[in-house]
Amino acid sequence: MPLIQAENLTKVYGTGETAVTALDHVNVRVELGEFVAVMGPSGCGKSTLLHLLGGLDRPTDGSVSVDGQPLAKLSDDALSKLRRRKIGFVFQFFNLIPILSSIENAALPLLLDSVSPTRAKQKAADWLTKVGLGARLGNRPDQLSAGQQQRVAIARALITDPVLVLADEPTGNLDTKSSDEIAALLQQVAKEWGRSVLMVTHDPRIAAYAERIVLMRDGKIVEDKRNAKAEG
Amino acid sequence: MNLQLTLAARYLWGRKLRSFLTTLAIVIGVMVIMGTGIYMPTFMDAFNKSILSASGQTDVMITHKTGEAFSVSVLNRVKTVDGIRVIAGAIDRPVALPPNFYGRNSTVSGFAIVGVDPNVAPFLHDYQITQGRFLKQGDGNVAVISQRLADSLNVKLGDALRVPTTEGVVKLTIVGLMPGRALVGNEQVLITLSQAQKLLDMSGRINVIEANLTTTDKAQSEAIVNQIKAQLGDNYTLGGLTSGSEFLGAMQMAQVMFSMFGFFTLLMGGFIIFNTFRTIVAERRHDIGMLRAIGASRGTIIGLVLAEGLVQGVVGTTIGLALGYLFGMGFTGLAAPMMKQFMNMTISAVIVEPSLVVVSVALGVGVTLFAGLLPAFTASRVTPIEALRPSIGVTIQRVGRIGAIVGAVLIAIALVGLLSGSFELIALGGMLFLVGLVLVAPVLVKPFANAFGVLTALIFAREGTSELAQGNLTRQPGRAAITASATMIGLAIVVGIGGMMFSLSDTITGLFQKSLGSDYLLLPPSVAIWKGDIGAGQGLANKIRSINGVGAVSTLRYAQSYIQTATVKGAGETAIAVLGIDPVEYPKIASLEFQKGNQQDAFAALGRAERNAIVNGVLAAQANLKVGDLIPLSTPEGQQEYRIIAIGGDVLSMKINTVYVSQAVMREDFRKSEDIFYQINLAPGANPATVEQWLNAIVDDYPQFRLVVGREYLAEFRQQYDAIYGGFYFLLGILAFPSLIAILNTLAIGVIERTREIGMLRAIGATRRQVWRTIVAEALLLSALGTAFGILGGLYLSYVIVQGMSASGIFKMAYSFPLTGVLAATAVGLIFGVIAALFPARQASQMEIIKALRYE
Repeated sequence: MPLIQAENLTKVYGTGETAVTALDHVNVRVELGEFVAVMGPSGCGKSTLLHLLGGLDRPTDGSVSVDGQPLAKLSDDALSKLRRRKIGFVFQFFNLIPILSSIENAALPLLLDSVSPTRAKQKAADWLTKVGLGARLGNRPDQLSAGQQQRVAIARALITDPVLVLADEPTGNLDTKSSDEIAALLQQVAKEWGRSVLMVTHDPRIAAYAERIVLMRDGKIVEDKRNAKAEG
Repeated sequence: MNLQLTLAARYLWGRKLRSFLTTLAIVIGVMVIMGTGIYMPTFMDAFNKSILSASGQTDVMITHKTGEAFSVSVLNRVKTVDGIRVIAGAIDRPVALPPNFYGRNSTVSGFAIVGVDPNVAPFLHDYQITQGRFLKQGDGNVAVISQRLADSLNVKLGDALRVPTTEGVVKLTIVGLMPGRALVGNEQVLITLSQAQKLLDMSGRINVIEANLTTTDKAQSEAIVNQIKAQLGDNYTLGGLTSGSEFLGAMQMAQVMFSMFGFFTLLMGGFIIFNTFRTIVAERRHDIGMLRAIGASRGTIIGLVLAEGLVQGVVGTTIGLALGYLFGMGFTGLAAPMMKQFMNMTISAVIVEPSLVVVSVALGVGVTLFAGLLPAFTASRVTPIEALRPSIGVTIQRVGRIGAIVGAVLIAIALVGLLSGSFELIALGGMLFLVGLVLVAPVLVKPFANAFGVLTALIFAREGTSELAQGNLTRQPGRAAITASATMIGLAIVVGIGGMMFSLSDTITGLFQKSLGSDYLLLPPSVAIWKGDIGAGQGLANKIRSINGVGAVSTLRYAQSYIQTATVKGAGETAIAVLGIDPVEYPKIASLEFQKGNQQDAFAALGRAERNAIVNGVLAAQANLKVGDLIPLSTPEGQQEYRIIAIGGDVLSMKINTVYVSQAVMREDFRKSEDIFYQINLAPGANPATVEQWLNAIVDDYPQFRLVVGREYLAEFRQQYDAIYGGFYFLLGILAFPSLIAILNTLAIGVIERTREIGMLRAIGATRRQVWRTIVAEALLLSALGTAFGILGGLYLSYVIVQGMSASGIFKMAYSFPLTGVLAATAVGLIFGVIAALFPARQASQMEIIKALRYE
């Protein structure tokens, strides 16, 4: 059974003459441990797809299941719980809380899940060390480079041991070197640590790190291909 | 909750200035409530210690409900009840002493003269005589006092103790000393009952019966008490002596007023916090969205915002409590000399009642949480997608039209209420008007900013800063309106109460001259709270009349009474001060301010041998009395009905339920012929110096009175009044202060929020000076808006209060336009605006461009 299964996924914004179809009957499957890159021009619906798969928004039509759970049937609280435990998010603008240190930012999902602060921080320290920030545990976001901030965000996404990591233009705000490092890290997340990663990007160089590339245009998937280079 | 509290604490610490300013609003609110709340119990304690007597140690203590003396025959009626082991009648009369009666260094401001039956009293009370002896039958001017009182007065066994009596000062030889009473301030001077009756003009009368029962069993005791009640009827109280409850009512009124101050201050605090939280939520949409995306539930987000409110509420309340205590101490400290001089009360300790602390904490924390509630729910509706969108900076807010329409309707209803002439509708209208203004405010921000923008454009010509300031204000009309509303409420109350006091001052000065405009006055230690005053018999008035050059002498006599009134809480007893006047002499010297009826007919009616009475406005309003009604007054001789012939009062009894009767009727019904207050006029052509010399000689024998020249007393009264005014204005100033914080807060938040924008302005060439001026101009516009609304609301409020007072029948007042108050409020409002702008303007102008552009 696939980890993500989306069928006839449709999202229409607005009504009547102003209605815009952002997603048009999209079907997509992602297996456990798979690294998928979603590419396409601006406004093609890739971010909308990511929002719907992550349970951040509700589709106009169609269905999404994550790890066998149909999202449509879940209440807001149940969706929150699912995001907390099974999905990790990485954002373009990192979205770290400026007043918290790296370790506190990374520990947030566990604290939201009522895990004891000591255990949460221990686990955050482990993950930060894994993503190469073992020496920056006490630094606040404004004391880190953009690349380092995104690593903290990745550690935060992984701390609950989710089955799925959704990344929305994770390198959109980074320089080339940092972008490569982050992309390589996401590749590691899938290959070594066994999580599924679905990454939205407009940069073909970054998409090349994924083992599967999905191309979108005008709200539809126009191509879905394996990336032999990455698989190898 | 742990996470929420941690985040709340970090956020607060991360924005220290804003946290400080917001918390300060709560600090001030709680401080005012706590500070003013200390005043009532502290003064009541002083009142009790100075004037009231403590209950005795006997099983049963019987007093007349009026507090007045009654016939000794009542004692015989009680004696017929079975189960009484020992019983005696006594006189227990509080004596307020004139200042410095026992010398400058004496701390004794009063005691009780207690006349007891020497044969029975030792069986009722455990009098432990440490030196000398107890009283015995046939003793004359001798007394037994406590060692503590002896120490305070620096007297010993065998010495003479001077005490004021209705026969003048009498010297009592101290024949016995006993240990001090447990309750400080209620010292007793024990004399024989017969001597007390003689010295206090209470022949054949007692004012308390004490009894010990044959049983200690509770049920049996209750049965005996019920038999006594059945024997005596409803006019007697079994328990302690009745207190000056008519004064208590006046004190409680003041307390309600002070509490209103605190409440309004907290209300402003609530506005400030609401405003801040709304901004916080807008600023943190990304953070909140991210938290939602990584799994935070709506409840968690609500908890996060409320936790921040809770931390601020708890910190602000704690500091507010501490400062409120200091404020209360300072306030009572300032009032103490005045209380000592005019009411002869000594304030010994500041009293903080636990309920006050509970209410202060509940209001302080409650208002903060309540103010955070709506922003918290708004925050919980932030979708996780917000986290994925790039920041779009400050949004432009739409104005809610529905609120404005509701506000306009409320203002219209308020105006209808004002025209109705009904006290209730006028009072309700006052509140509706303010609420209406708050609701209408957002719609008026833009036109107002445009209109005043013309003025600021003149000041900041050719720099474009005025337009920027206007734009900043109008793109967030909701926030500008809330800030202006906080300023408005503060200034509305300042102008409203200031205006009311201005009108009151004019009215009272006229009233004072009317009722106390005599050439000389003989004042007892405590004016208006007559209970503790020892007056003088008819002899003193006769002596004064015999002075060559004295034209007219009028006296006041005092008795306590009560009437049954129906209140919202059900039927109750309302304490009343009964003042006896001589209807022939009084009009020669003074007059009352009549609201219904006229002087000539009223005094003529009082002169007739009928039970006629004039009631004052407060009482008429409270008990719904009209001219022609019969008012049943409780007297020591039973209930008597008096016909109301007019409604009017004098300046001293303005706030106290008072009934004026003729002295002849008072003597008959209350058995009182003791004069407690004298007004004296010179005869035409008399030499004031000679008359004064004679008056002084006579008053030397009656040191409980102070001879005062009429015009000097007026000056003294004005001074006292001005001192009270001063206190009020101080409180009003405190009330205006949160509006300063409101403006400062909004500006500071605006600067924080627009950091990137300011960075951009600097990047494209704006000078530091231009940025500084933009913020100052914005502050001026904001404060002008608040000030204009505040003055408008304040004028309406003051008019409402004056009309309401007149409509209620409590007090006839003419409205005087508070021009000074309006000018002061305008100046204060605008100056506050500039002061509030200084810090944020400096912060904005000193920003580093690169850092500002990178600001998240």
